[in-house]
Amino acid sequence: MSDNGRVTLTIDGQEVTVPAGTLVIRAAESLGIEIPRFCEHPYLDPVGACRQCIVEVEGQRKPITSCTTPVEEGMVVRTQHTSEMAHKAQEGMLELLLINHPLDCPVCDRGGECPLQDQALAWGPGESRYIDPKRVFRKPIPLSPLVLLDRERCVLCTRCTRFCEEISGEQFIEMFDRGAAQQVAIAPGEDFRSPFSGNTVQICPVGALTSETYRFAARPFDLKSADSVCPHCACGCTIRVDIRRGEVVRHQARDNPEVNDAWLCDKGRYAFRFPDRDRVTTPLLRVPGLEPASFAEVFGAIAERARGGRVAVLAGGRLTDEDAYALSKLARTAFRTNDVDHRLTGTQDVPLDVERAAAAGPGVTYRDLEKAGAIVVVGLDAREELPILHLRIRKAVRKTGARVFVIHPRRTALTDVAEHIPCRPGGEADVLEEIVAASGGDSAAARVTAALGEAGGSAVILAGPGLAASPGAVSMAVSMAQSLGARFAFLSRRAGDRGALRAGLHPGLLPGGRAVDDESERGEVEPLWGSIPGEPGRDARTILEAAARRELDLLYLIGADLRGDFPDAALADRALENVPFLVVQDISLGSEGQSADAVLPAAAFLEKEGHFTDWEGRGQRITPVRGPEGLSRPDWQIFQELSETLGADMGFSSLEALHTEMGNLLAPRSVSISPGGSRREPRPEAEGLELFTYPLLVDEGRLSVDADELKAALGTDSFVEVNPGDATRLGLAEGNEAVVRTEAGEARLPVRVSAGIVEGAAFVPYNQRGFRANVLLSGTTRAMATVEPATAAVEAAG
Amino acid sequence: MAEFEPVLTARWRTDGADTIDGYLRSGGYEGLKKALSMSPSDVIEAVKASGLRGRGGAGFPTGLKWEFTAKAQSTPKYVVCNADEGEPGTFKDRELLERDPHQLLEGVAIASHAIGCRTAFVYLRGEFLYAGRQLERAVAEAYDRGYLGRGIAGSDQDLDIVLHRGAGSYECGEETALLESLEGKRGQPRLRPPFPAVVGLYGAPTVINNVETLSAVPHILARGADWFAGIGPEKSTGTKIFCVSGKVARPGNYEAPMGTPARVVIDELAGGVPDGKRVKAWTPGGSSTPFLTDDHLDTPMDFESITAAGSLLGTGAVIVLDESDCVVDAALRFTQFYAHESCGKCTPCREGTWWLTKVLYRMENGGGRSEDVDVMVDVGDNMLFKNFCALGDGAVSPIHSSIKFFRGEYLEHVRVGGCPLRERPALGAAEPREAGVTGVVELGEVLR
Amino acid sequence: MAVLSDELRAKAQEVIDRYPEPRSALLPLLYLMQAAEGHVSREGLREAAELLGLTTAEVEAVATYYTMFKEAPTGRWLISVCTNLSCALAGGRRVFDRAVEAAGGQSDDGESGLTVEEVECLGACDAAPVVQVNYCNYDRVTEDEVAEMVERLRNDDVPEPSRGPKPVPHDATARILAGLGDDRG
Ligand SMILES: Cc1cc2nc3c(=O)[nH]c(=O)nc-3n(C[C@H](O)[C@H](O)[C@H](O)COP(=O)(O)O)c2cc1C
Ligand code: SF4
Ligand code: FES
Repeated sequence: MSDNGRVTLTIDGQEVTVPAGTLVIRAAESLGIEIPRFCEHPYLDPVGACRQCIVEVEGQRKPITSCTTPVEEGMVVRTQHTSEMAHKAQEGMLELLLINHPLDCPVCDRGGECPLQDQALAWGPGESRYIDPKRVFRKPIPLSPLVLLDRERCVLCTRCTRFCEEISGEQFIEMFDRGAAQQVAIAPGEDFRSPFSGNTVQICPVGALTSETYRFAARPFDLKSADSVCPHCACGCTIRVDIRRGEVVRHQARDNPEVNDAWLCDKGRYAFRFPDRDRVTTPLLRVPGLEPASFAEVFGAIAERARGGRVAVLAGGRLTDEDAYALSKLARTAFRTNDVDHRLTGTQDVPLDVERAAAAGPGVTYRDLEKAGAIVVVGLDAREELPILHLRIRKAVRKTGARVFVIHPRRTALTDVAEHIPCRPGGEADVLEEIVAASGGDSAAARVTAALGEAGGSAVILAGPGLAASPGAVSMAVSMAQSLGARFAFLSRRAGDRGALRAGLHPGLLPGGRAVDDESERGEVEPLWGSIPGEPGRDARTILEAAARRELDLLYLIGADLRGDFPDAALADRALENVPFLVVQDISLGSEGQSADAVLPAAAFLEKEGHFTDWEGRGQRITPVRGPEGLSRPDWQIFQELSETLGADMGFSSLEALHTEMGNLLAPRSVSISPGGSRREPRPEAEGLELFTYPLLVDEGRLSVDADELKAALGTDSFVEVNPGDATRLGLAEGNEAVVRTEAGEARLPVRVSAGIVEGAAFVPYNQRGFRANVLLSGTTRAMATVEPATAAVEAAG
Repeated sequence: MAEFEPVLTARWRTDGADTIDGYLRSGGYEGLKKALSMSPSDVIEAVKASGLRGRGGAGFPTGLKWEFTAKAQSTPKYVVCNADEGEPGTFKDRELLERDPHQLLEGVAIASHAIGCRTAFVYLRGEFLYAGRQLERAVAEAYDRGYLGRGIAGSDQDLDIVLHRGAGSYECGEETALLESLEGKRGQPRLRPPFPAVVGLYGAPTVINNVETLSAVPHILARGADWFAGIGPEKSTGTKIFCVSGKVARPGNYEAPMGTPARVVIDELAGGVPDGKRVKAWTPGGSSTPFLTDDHLDTPMDFESITAAGSLLGTGAVIVLDESDCVVDAALRFTQFYAHESCGKCTPCREGTWWLTKVLYRMENGGGRSEDVDVMVDVGDNMLFKNFCALGDGAVSPIHSSIKFFRGEYLEHVRVGGCPLRERPALGAAEPREAGVTGVVELGEVLR
Repeated sequence: MAVLSDELRAKAQEVIDRYPEPRSALLPLLYLMQAAEGHVSREGLREAAELLGLTTAEVEAVATYYTMFKEAPTGRWLISVCTNLSCALAGGRRVFDRAVEAAGGQSDDGESGLTVEEVECLGACDAAPVVQVNYCNYDRVTEDEVAEMVERLRNDDVPEPSRGPKPVPHDATARILAGLGDDRG
């Protein structure tokens, strides 16, 4: 082999040098030579099943498949372009693939974007020499409410089944039978219940796997498309949005080795209808009912209330970086307040340093996970909360043998590739402390310490967003990382969270994580913004309490689903009822909009230009596929115009102007995290079970409106999950109703008994069909709860 | 031929030779004792020097294969005996297992010593119920007498043998498909390289040998490599069991030196074609080896000579057709076999065998078109060496060879609109038999 | 209702322990299911999956690959007639047709307890045409002989095979195939 692991070979007469181990088919691509293939997929292991990619290699008696053969020094390869043999072999293979392929291209969803069709047209024989009957299967069978299978069209490339085996690890579909009867199939009576099922549709090289949401929906030629980023979570998956006659018909993954490889979760793929539902398309003012008004009128009304009044600003997690930045500036310079927050998830026990660091710039990346010898996941149910991160962790295990540990009260979907370390909700800090203290022995803690030791600097500790609700846990995770020499990442949850933090939608932080109350850091911002109040503001919870006590004159909600997101439904209601003037800026009204005094119509993500910053801190561009609905506008434009009315022009005449200023303040800075350490007060000895909650991937969130197929395939009604031990102790049985009581409220929920959850805990999904958990919460996602059989409750009631 | 003294089949005619006492009485396990007294590398050298080549069909030098595995760094290492005998016309391994199971166990033990294997497997064809019974009994006896288990034959070597039954799949005889099946998966082949010798069972270096191959090993150790190398031609040494069936007077297994002329095997050993009929076509090594004709009867039955004659020695399974048999019908039946056994993984084998079955069926039952003959040749070309494994290549043999030698007979089928030799028995299935028919019917989905 | 009796469940564990890796036990476990029910039912597939920590789909993928695992109810006596070339040259095809005729169809009607199948080369071509009853060989079987065999089997009157002990019913045979030992006389 040649120097530094690179190999030089010749393909169709052209020399090319590639890394050793490169497959011939890839080396050819690097020369722009496209070798036809069906089973080959860059993110799946080579299999060599379809035999379409045959080429000739000098000195080899037999033809070879270029998708399975690594390059060799001095190799001389002839593809279909220069080898008669390869050309005939490929023609012959195509003919063989077609003898049993139906002629239904005109009605096939893949028609027009089908590799098989393209090749058949390109150089398939005019008419087939095959005159005998074709293989016949019953036409499409549903694998789930989302995915359909047409076995007649299948070319048996096994991409779909290999995806399930290699990537998601959820083997619902398999190849059954053999020979010409071999077929993709699912065990009768079972559903393709994998939140990654849609990927199999996208990688199917023909129309065998199709999506219920896209059946007969469109033809490639009447689609309009734009590149964007998934608006749902902080994974940052790059997508392509397809619209037909102005309506979204499909989200597809864009290949992106840095982030989502070629994958999407089913929520990102199938929850795409929200921009086309219940949009607010004009400004509204209450007189006393909500009536259409002009932007000027609404801005005027706001200005009137804001002048000399006490204003607070709360933003949801869907703002672009640009929107967030403009809002951060608007709050400080026009409303002259630091009462601004985007963390609507209640009490956050997170050291400010951790947020400063996250706000300052990028940190741990997806790629780092593949290089990590060990990964500790704490406070995160990755598949439900950050699904593509879940896949990347699996990839790290499969490709580089990373050792993974998951510290969580529930056994997560990583358990088959990781060591699960159970821990009571809120007890994460204790477990982490044990690990730091551990030395030798074969306790779980010791195994983690050992693995981190072996992994050296490559090890990564991933702290889920939910960990902030566990007293002292985040700071303990930090000190663990520091003492064991691992890298640390505090993960964000929603697409706009990290961008909001970077922009300073935080009572204590300005852009880039600069502390409001730090003279010099504030001083770096003021030259561009003018003077900024130096007192840190109030966080979301304190703001709402103030509003509830009528100590606020104006509450400005931007894309904030307060009633849904805030973990204290009662407080949210009281705040909304008691605030004298409520401004809601959003793409749809929502329940907050109903009670608003002024409404401003915002453009949806697919109608604007901008960026989303994912959990890594990586900003990625989104581009509009259509113009804003009605009079709606990108949020940053609304803020700019409002600033003018308020007599504090932010000077963002254009997106470019905005970007230049952001460039100045958001250039990555380095912020060192001062040694963490747990500041925990002993938890009060309380009765009952420790109730905890977090949102499941497929829930009733606002961006999932009308995603009916998705919910039918993967959704569940709400439930309360308890450990078998507790179930017996409390007389709870699978499927029966239970009454869950906390100091905040009570609910009747069906019981799920699972050995996967620790004793002494009760899990209720945050927002499922039928129930939203914040009814039971008082400002944090944890609570002490009593759970008893509904019947008993009735008797008790008399 | 008379004076030739059989080696592997020597014990077949003596009663009780299948028991350990009978086996020991006739010099059994001497080879193993000899081997255990030698260093593993010396054992490998001996097998290399004997010139022994695989009897499972591919004819790969056995000693060399062992050396690759012995040299492979990682441990553990495994020996797997391929007893899945499924090549149509082949029935030597079954009889070796039924009549002399200890001979195989001894071979396995020697191979295990040579490469450093503690657990060996015998992958036995599921349908071989009696052979399994014999083998199970032999294994029990061997444990009982200390030829298996801890410290075999008084040495410090341990060896366990696990008997694993297949469940009905010819492809599982292909060594990598066999490993998949042994790992509890569908019997579909793996990419090679890496070869099993380096990455085999559970990813460990693995020697895979045929029953007849391993059964020869004890004799090589006991009587010396030179003795074995002295039998047969230089490149194809030793004795070979020829399985003769079809139109002969005395079908059966006949052990003879490699290089024995086909005429001797068919006429002298198997008693020739009955009723004074002529040999029309014959396979030297099962359905996967191209047909030869009566013009080739003087070809010596060894790897080189048969290859030179345009076919392959394969398993040494000689199936004889006489002048009253229809080659189109024979090719149809073979092709139906390949369609039924195709694993389905790769396109050319899966779709090609389906296509050829349909065309041949039309030919034999009327509806053949003259252009069909060339279409079949071309479909065969498009399959050959483009298949994932050799099953698909084997499927082309009967097509290409029968058309090469009997094109006229094909065209005659077209002319008379059916089989000109309606002197039944018909060979091909009564109606088109597609691959996996049973499976499809059970999954209840294919309508045809 | 579990497919495996407690006895067979215990055996299942022994079978699994035979191998360095549990999944290798899948084929024998499927034979065990067949031993329990005469064929591999849905429940059998699920139970095998659960024993090895696989999905049902993974197990069914394997079960449907191999011809000796019967997903449909199968007769007490499975009569397999080889029709590959060597046997066909000796009349195997007519023997098969005759067997089907005598049994009144290929699949067990629930009454006869007979299932007749056409199989590939059984590796006994010297004795063509070959018939197996639950995998016990009968050599050089003529059309009339096969018809007689079928009639006798209908009444569980089992003919003496050419080698080894008499066949036992299909489910009992599966026990042997699962490797639980061949205790036929
Ligand atoms: C489709 C197919 C079926 C095979 N069946 C068998 C078989 O039944 N028994 C066998 O020993 N080898 C069989 N082989 C050959 C094996 O792949 C392998 O070469 C052999 O077992 C090696 O052992 P040997 O070197 O002792 O011959 C088959 C190969 C193919 C392609
Ligand atoms: S040639 Fe292809 S389809 Fe045939 S058995 Fe081999 S891999 Fe399977
Ligand atoms: S792409 Fe190479 S074999 Fe399928």
